[in-house]
Amino acid sequence: MLDHLSLLLLHALLIAVFFTFLWKRESAARWRYFWKVFLALSLGAIALGWLMYPFPRT
Amino acid sequence: MVAKAGEKRTPPAARLPLPALMVAAWLVPGLGHLLLGRRQRAGVFAAVILIAFIVGIALDGELILPRAGDPLSYLAAIANLGSGVLFFIARMAGLGGGVVTAVSYEYGNTFLLTAGMMNLLLVLDTHDIVVGKKDW
Repeated sequence: MLDHLSLLLLHALLIAVFFTFLWKRESAARWRYFWKVFLALSLGAIALGWLMYPFPRT
Repeated sequence: MVAKAGEKRTPPAARLPLPALMVAAWLVPGLGHLLLGRRQRAGVFAAVILIAFIVGIALDGELILPRAGDPLSYLAAIANLGSGVLFFIARMAGLGGGVVTAVSYEYGNTFLLTAGMMNLLLVLDTHDIVVGKKDW
């Protein structure tokens, strides 16, 4: 089974590809948009995880 | 906007009624764009949604149906039904029952819900192309 980070990256990849082809037409614009969305989702999730670290569940 | 070569067109299915195109787009991910001549985008969309759906099923995700007393399950059911024929095939094959105790259950749900909602967005995109809000 894939680990948490791999699943996170796979999910971010799929969403980034989907919205890139949904909203961008030109090749260069697609690449820029893809990396922007992919990095925002991946790094944003990791950053959010770190921000939540001081707040344990119990 | 000027149509580019390769992303052109006179949609072969433009003569189909809009509701029929939208139903086709919902039933089979990418079919709406394919019928409108957007072959490359149709292929990408179909692949992305299919991968998300398969991963969701493989991770023991649940194809959620409405449950009495659980309002959020109605929203989840709408999202899952958005996967179109994939939803019905998986259900008929006995897949997508969900294993709540599986460690990957919520991951699977996320992929399944995402697949359905992406396909619903494709239905809206098909609509926009047909009515001329989008020319590519």
